[in-house]
Amino acid sequence: MFILRRWWDRNGVAIVLGGLTLSAAWLVRQSQGTALFEAYQLMTRPFQSGPTQEERLTDARVLELKQQLVELESQNQKLKELLDYGKTQKQQGIVAPVVGRSADHWWQQVTLGRGSQEGIKVGFVVMGPGGLVGRVISVTQNTSRVLLISDSTSKVGAVISRSRSMGFMRGQGSNRAVLQFFDKVPDVRRGDVVSTSPVSKLFPSGLPLGRVESVNLDKSPAPEAVIELTAPISYLEWVIVYPE
Amino acid sequence: MNNISQFSPWVRQIINWVVTVGSVILCLMVLPARLPGMELLGIAPNWLLIWVVAWSIKRTALQGALAGLALGLIQDGMTSPQPTHVLSLALVGVLTARIQKQRYIQEDFISVALIVFGMAVVGETVTAIQYSFIGDRNLAEIWTDHQRIALSSAILSSLWAPVVYYPLNRWWEQINLIDQSN
Repeated sequence: MFILRRWWDRNGVAIVLGGLTLSAAWLVRQSQGTALFEAYQLMTRPFQSGPTQEERLTDARVLELKQQLVELESQNQKLKELLDYGKTQKQQGIVAPVVGRSADHWWQQVTLGRGSQEGIKVGFVVMGPGGLVGRVISVTQNTSRVLLISDSTSKVGAVISRSRSMGFMRGQGSNRAVLQFFDKVPDVRRGDVVSTSPVSKLFPSGLPLGRVESVNLDKSPAPEAVIELTAPISYLEWVIVYPE
Repeated sequence: MNNISQFSPWVRQIINWVVTVGSVILCLMVLPARLPGMELLGIAPNWLLIWVVAWSIKRTALQGALAGLALGLIQDGMTSPQPTHVLSLALVGVLTARIQKQRYIQEDFISVALIVFGMAVVGETVTAIQYSFIGDRNLAEIWTDHQRIALSSAILSSLWAPVVYYPLNRWWEQINLIDQSN
């Protein structure tokens, strides 16, 4: 008993402190770092800037093209309605600033400065200038974490817009991705536009992804194409989050 | 520093813990940030690894492993629990403590930078090995990624290591001195 007591007197504090540290760390892990990301958001808030005047003044050509696009989209919508094509109205997105990047080097993630308070939920689709960027994988009150399509664990069903050849796309870090086709002999050329496929469960169909950079039809087990993503994944500052 | 020695040992202990935990929180806060000048090929220094090295360098292997375990769990929460960061950080803690630098080398700055360089490579290699076992990524891709990540992370971490190591080491040394003199 005495020995035990003396042992405890000598090591008790260390054991208690070690235990406390470990349980706190475990708590952080189980809560997905919620408190940390909230604190991060709070600390970086003064440094987050709104869009500059230059960014606001998008040139006239882009505006004109956008207006044409809206016109064509609404025409398309009308035609789909005439055909009884079951698709809902496009929903309003939530604009969110990118406040942080992945907390380690192996994952391609970003942290957004908007969270559940603004209505963001897990599984929401994230679009950037230029096309699809990723998917929300965890949400805290004021931040949300996005798994980018450039991560090699994120798989996106993709289709070549011209020929409708389908496949799935795996990220390769930075702004490249590899599209693996389902067909043995897909109709694909350099420069073809790639968008999300209508059979994708995670993403709505028809979102722009990128352009085909090179094609390798001899690749086993399935032919592959290297895609250059159009969204500037490494320089993202603002994104728009859409419900699924 | 002189005022600290006036406090009772208990208060001093608590202040020491607040400073230590505060430094960890600071490291966690810069982890998702990419500040200008701190980035190489989109990769930032591995702040938690630097902290673990700074902590373990003058401590026992067990203490090093515990620090690695705790910080690994936190980093798992911030990214993804699979593959776990616990293994790499705990191994780094143990190895750093086993080197027993202070017995052989008195000089601090460059040797710490070198240790961080080596440990960053070890840490990323452990992660890459875990990925190879999990098998949801292509083997060739993992190891080309590993080269890129390990090298840039090792260079950046070793360059930024003194920023974390110097103040922390000084603080712990002072606390130790006061503890021993009382």
